[in-house]
Amino acid sequence: MTKRLKTLTATAFAAALLASVPAAASTPEVGRPAPDFTGVDSNGASVTLSALRGTLVVLEWTNHGCPYVSKHYGAGNMQKTQKSARAKGAVWLSIISSAPGRQGHVDGAEANRLSKTRGAAPSHVILDPKGVIGRKYEATNTPHMFIVGKDGTLLYMGAIDSIRSANPADIPRAKNYVTAALDEIAAGRKVSQPVTRQYGCSVKYAY
Amino acid sequence: MACLSLLAGLAIAGQAVAQTSQPGTLRGLDLPGLKPQGGAQQDAPAGPVFKTKHVTAELLSEHTTLRPGATAWVALYFNIIPKWHTYWRNAGDSGEATRIDWALPKGYAAGEIVWLPPERIPVGPLANYGYSDEAIHMVPITVPKDARPGPNATLTANVFWLVCEEVCIPEEGVLKLSLPVAGGAPVADLRAGPIFRKARAALPKPSPWSAQFRFEDKRFRLDVAAAGLKREVIEDAWFYPYGHGVVKYAAPQKLTVTDRALTLETQRGKAAKPITEVGGLLVLKEKLGDGGTVTQAFRLTAIEADSGFSIGFWEAVALALLGGLILNLMPCVLPVLAVKALSFARHANQGRGKGQGMARHGFAYAAGVLASFAIVGAVLLAVRAAGEAAGWGFQLQEPVFVLLMAYLMVLIGLNFAGLFEIGGRFAGIGGSLAGRAGLSGSFFTGVLAVIVATPCTAPFMGAAVGFALGQTAAVAMAVMLALGFGLALPFLLLSLAPPLLRLLPKPGPWMVRFKQFLAFPMFATAAWLIWVLSLQAGDAALLGALAGAILLSFAVWLWQASAGASGRWRPAGIGLAALAVVAAFAMVRYADGGAPAPVRADRAPESAAATGIVWEPFSEARLAQRRAEGRPVLINFTAAWCITCIANEKVVLRLESVRQAVDAAGMATLKGDWTRRDPVITRHLAAFGRSGVPLYVIYPPKGSPKQPMLLPQILTEGGTIAAIRSMAAEAKRAERSGN
Repeated sequence: MTKRLKTLTATAFAAALLASVPAAASTPEVGRPAPDFTGVDSNGASVTLSALRGTLVVLEWTNHGCPYVSKHYGAGNMQKTQKSARAKGAVWLSIISSAPGRQGHVDGAEANRLSKTRGAAPSHVILDPKGVIGRKYEATNTPHMFIVGKDGTLLYMGAIDSIRSANPADIPRAKNYVTAALDEIAAGRKVSQPVTRQYGCSVKYAY
Repeated sequence: MACLSLLAGLAIAGQAVAQTSQPGTLRGLDLPGLKPQGGAQQDAPAGPVFKTKHVTAELLSEHTTLRPGATAWVALYFNIIPKWHTYWRNAGDSGEATRIDWALPKGYAAGEIVWLPPERIPVGPLANYGYSDEAIHMVPITVPKDARPGPNATLTANVFWLVCEEVCIPEEGVLKLSLPVAGGAPVADLRAGPIFRKARAALPKPSPWSAQFRFEDKRFRLDVAAAGLKREVIEDAWFYPYGHGVVKYAAPQKLTVTDRALTLETQRGKAAKPITEVGGLLVLKEKLGDGGTVTQAFRLTAIEADSGFSIGFWEAVALALLGGLILNLMPCVLPVLAVKALSFARHANQGRGKGQGMARHGFAYAAGVLASFAIVGAVLLAVRAAGEAAGWGFQLQEPVFVLLMAYLMVLIGLNFAGLFEIGGRFAGIGGSLAGRAGLSGSFFTGVLAVIVATPCTAPFMGAAVGFALGQTAAVAMAVMLALGFGLALPFLLLSLAPPLLRLLPKPGPWMVRFKQFLAFPMFATAAWLIWVLSLQAGDAALLGALAGAILLSFAVWLWQASAGASGRWRPAGIGLAALAVVAAFAMVRYADGGAPAPVRADRAPESAAATGIVWEPFSEARLAQRRAEGRPVLINFTAAWCITCIANEKVVLRLESVRQAVDAAGMATLKGDWTRRDPVITRHLAAFGRSGVPLYVIYPPKGSPKQPMLLPQILTEGGTIAAIRSMAAEAKRAERSGN
């Protein structure tokens, strides 16, 4: 008989049985519960997403050494987005998943200093040097944005805005997806662009 | 545009910051927002070269002049320092594609960058698609017809690129290339030549195969209809989608190769919008016989596979159950079950086996069905685990299996028709096991029902089983068992509720007629199977199958006819019947050894197409004969499973220009098909130091002192035509000196 039939051996049988049942990994999906996490912020306080039920939460993956992050902080765009989000009652979590020794990794004091010098207004800067939260959200870029609704549902994931570049001159022409989504949520509407393609540097994960 | 040229100066200034940066340190900052706007203002004299710390960018032209009305090829060439890279059109998880904004003289137009296949650059759990060491971006520039010869035309490229190692630096530069406008023959630029040659050899070719994609829950699957490839010759295969959200860039892509298709499976990406079409590059690294490898990139656009609907677990189980119920009505299943039901009815009417006894038969039958489905499911999963692309009906891809199924259908049909009976009170149906009266008889009726159901289910069950196979083994098995349970259900209900039996018509002589009638659906199924077989394995297999079916029928008749015979007749009958059975099974040879489709498919369009070279089959005698006729001979040693061979044929050898060159040279063209190893061809390959295909040899005519000429393994239009012409000139010389 031919090869294909020969492959149907007992060995393959055993392999099939062993190879079954992979663990169901939860991946972030708009419209489904956002993966829960507990992180430690720059002041050593513990922050748990599920404890923030009833509040809108914005997650921002960041790395101050990344030119794409610098584009938005240098031009004051990220700070503006943070302030308008917080004015709407949202909690803003900046998350740093850079591993020790890699670009963007900071300790609490440095994180606080960066917020101060840049005039940033996050509710917390969460230090995630092991990349646990980052991997849970499959955060690939800095900046990479997520919005979690009051009921814990993921409402938005993707880019900060619509022009994929490192050039701050593009900011005025770009559509800020996060602000737009927050406006729609505040107006009780559906987020019209709930998934966009994030852009920026890769998250400098430990590996 | 003006802004960009201003930024050119700025990039140098920005570079000063980057110069001091160390990868992985906090100082690796390049803050575009903080660039000293307005500083470094004086326009650095832009030339064809622009250097940063990481990249030396150069604008090159393939030819030394711009010809009015022609397409000039230029290239943006990057020399990148070790470990750093720039990006492909889809950069992957991060990064940004290199961009060129052209400022050209009036009437000139620049096309898009022709992207060469990228490499995969893993970054921990993420991955990028880009280039390291060097990147060549070829761009076609259309020169207007009325371009005035003489003065230099200046092509200005404002280039943006992101260069990354651990950290990323956006860089920009302005490159200017001035070339004289002149008519006449193009002269290759000596310095640019090797770079363009390298780029052209690596250029993605249009895919010779159609492709389909499918999203299955969290998986992405690409099926490329590449028939006849061999898994073992493909060292690496990767699909680089143009668009985002198709694949998870860092996830491995699992390659399976079957007779019909090449399949890549990986995790799906997160797309913002539903994807209806997937374009990208399929890059195949093929091992050639001589130990080397050749990388081929194919541009393809995959359309969505039909049954790409996504369903949840319970829907799948419910659908499978329903599907199973429907199976009872299939022309190949119904007769089997009808006959069994009639025996049940007789049972009931004879007042035996009521109540518990009947229920036990029902359960035995259901167990037989479920056990069979469990085995089929396990086999499918095993095949999947072994790396083969399997789907419901995968058995039907196996010509031998199809032939045996056809035989089984014929036998069952003959049995129904009354040509023979297999012992036991309840007319055996197709096998002595299933014919047994006891519980094992019911069990094997279940098994038989599943077996005979196979050909009918293949077209109908695809979606449910396709879903199942995309799932974990547990889910897949649940779906398979639901399918089985659906098939077993009507019978099980009948046995559990004997009053239902009363709904069945009363037994009587009509049962015999009815059974005979049921023979016809079985014969119809056999006819369909033999047709399928003829498609798979060709005319010889068709004849073999028909002869086999007749032999088998003859054997059955002999067996039956000699049953009552006495003396020598009985053993003679048995012997002859056995001989006929053996002969019938010998026909398997034709099904198994049938010519693979690709070879036939290849021949048909070539002779049918108006263009393209007409190949004669290669043989040593023909080679000698054609050379003796004073003709040079081009031999194309190829194989249906050789990707490089197929690419060469579709991309170069099919060209009208190549055919014209062949005709003009009076060249004979022979094709040596090595799809099935052929010792003569193997010897010829070895004579040229090769142990595999492709091999292209041009022999001079007989009597020429010239040696046979080898063409490269990857053909180009220009090179092939030049080689053909040079041998044609040689042929003419030989002719003259011969005279």
